[in-house]
Amino acid sequence: RMEASCLELALEGERLCKAGDCRAGVSFFEAAVQVGTEDLRTLSAIYSQLGNAYFYLHEYAKALEYHHHDLTLARTIGDLLGEAKASGNLGNTLKVLGNFEEAIVCCQRHLDISRELNDKVGEARALYNLGNVYHSKGKNVANAGTHDPGELPDDVKNALQKAANYYEENLAIVTELGDRAAQGRAFGNLGNTHYLLGNFRSAVLAHEQRLLIAKEFGDRSAERRAYSNLGNAYIFLGEFETASEYYKRTLQLARQLKDRAVEAQACYSLGNTFTLLQDYEKAIDYHLKHLVIAQELQDKIGEGRACWSLGNAYTALGNHDQAIHFAERHLEISREVGDRSGELTARLNLSDLQMVLGLSYSTNNSMMSESHVVEKGLNGTRPRAGRRHSMENMELMKLTPEKVQNWN
Amino acid sequence: SQPLTGHQAAELQSKVVPSKQILHSDNMEMEPETMETKSVTDYFSKLHMGSLVYSCTSKRKNK
Repeated sequence: RMEASCLELALEGERLCKAGDCRAGVSFFEAAVQVGTEDLRTLSAIYSQLGNAYFYLHEYAKALEYHHHDLTLARTIGDLLGEAKASGNLGNTLKVLGNFEEAIVCCQRHLDISRELNDKVGEARALYNLGNVYHSKGKNVANAGTHDPGELPDDVKNALQKAANYYEENLAIVTELGDRAAQGRAFGNLGNTHYLLGNFRSAVLAHEQRLLIAKEFGDRSAERRAYSNLGNAYIFLGEFETASEYYKRTLQLARQLKDRAVEAQACYSLGNTFTLLQDYEKAIDYHLKHLVIAQELQDKIGEGRACWSLGNAYTALGNHDQAIHFAERHLEISREVGDRSGELTARLNLSDLQMVLGLSYSTNNSMMSESHVVEKGLNGTRPRAGRRHSMENMELMKLTPEKVQNWN
Repeated sequence: SQPLTGHQAAELQSKVVPSKQILHSDNMEMEPETMETKSVTDYFSKLHMGSLVYSCTSKRKNK
């Protein structure tokens, strides 16, 4: 009677999670655990699904806990395939939590067991996961030093090169298996790894493959991702026109998919691209679109970034009234969000603008007189270096929290 | 305010128009993770030959 009850609850949990309602699914799985079962394989399956549900809900500490229970259980009952799966899931969770070394151990275990069992599908999936861990590891270290793609310290380069190798190994197997969906994922992440390594031509080739497969499946989210990544790569190839075409397609799909945050990102990218093309009117047009959405989403970081960009574009056009308006707004927002270097950049922009307009500091408001204090305090870090640093710091902050992703 | 001299305008422009390096937004779009899945029915269909599942479904039918 109790056994059936636990099973029934778990089955309902499975049904709800498959239907996309992980929150409700979790309640049923937890109820199933409460009731309990003597069948350890059933319990292992419940733990595993609880772990995955929490993973998709972005509750990674809970996900870690349940995948760990699953791993312990699988080992206890000598279920090798179950152990491989639990190790893979634990590895993915540890990666998200930034524990890369342990993540590598777990994903390697997934790979070793899959090879031992001659499980090609499992082997390919473990290789993809390993690629992801090394990619995240490389990106994480790189972010700490705010590098541009292609200008990386050796440890970052090594991690990214390993990621590329794992994706290549994965691709060889999934191509043999004829798994196009898996090929699409591998091409996408391989492309991003090449991008970080500064191999922009290779990045383009991989993302073109990703695009092809996305179209095959009618997967518009994947298609949009490919356009955006192609745009990024073409920026670094110096082919701004091509980049703008890809970003426009990104924007088109973002609108179709009704994803405002992605739409904002596409507008921002387009604004930057037209700045590079020195078409400042179009740049302003897109940065204003970005600004409107940032305000709508109450994304202060994005709003500050838009104001900074708009200030620059208006300055380039010689529209100093608007330039000052946005520089002042940038200063206000930087203060609000406590972005000290953004604040400094805004002050420097304002003082540049004031000088060009032939105004002395004394005729201006308190904002400008404060700028003397800041400049003195930083021992003449006035030049462009300060500005660059500021923007790069801002770039590290995500526009919006990461979206819940599908897990297939 | 005074009109800009050509030199001032040029200098200002070169200073504030950011370089390619500053601009990149580094918003890479990654592919989703793949998680390994287990199901309670995997084991039941294999190990219990459906007897327990049968009892559940027949019970449901009787309700």
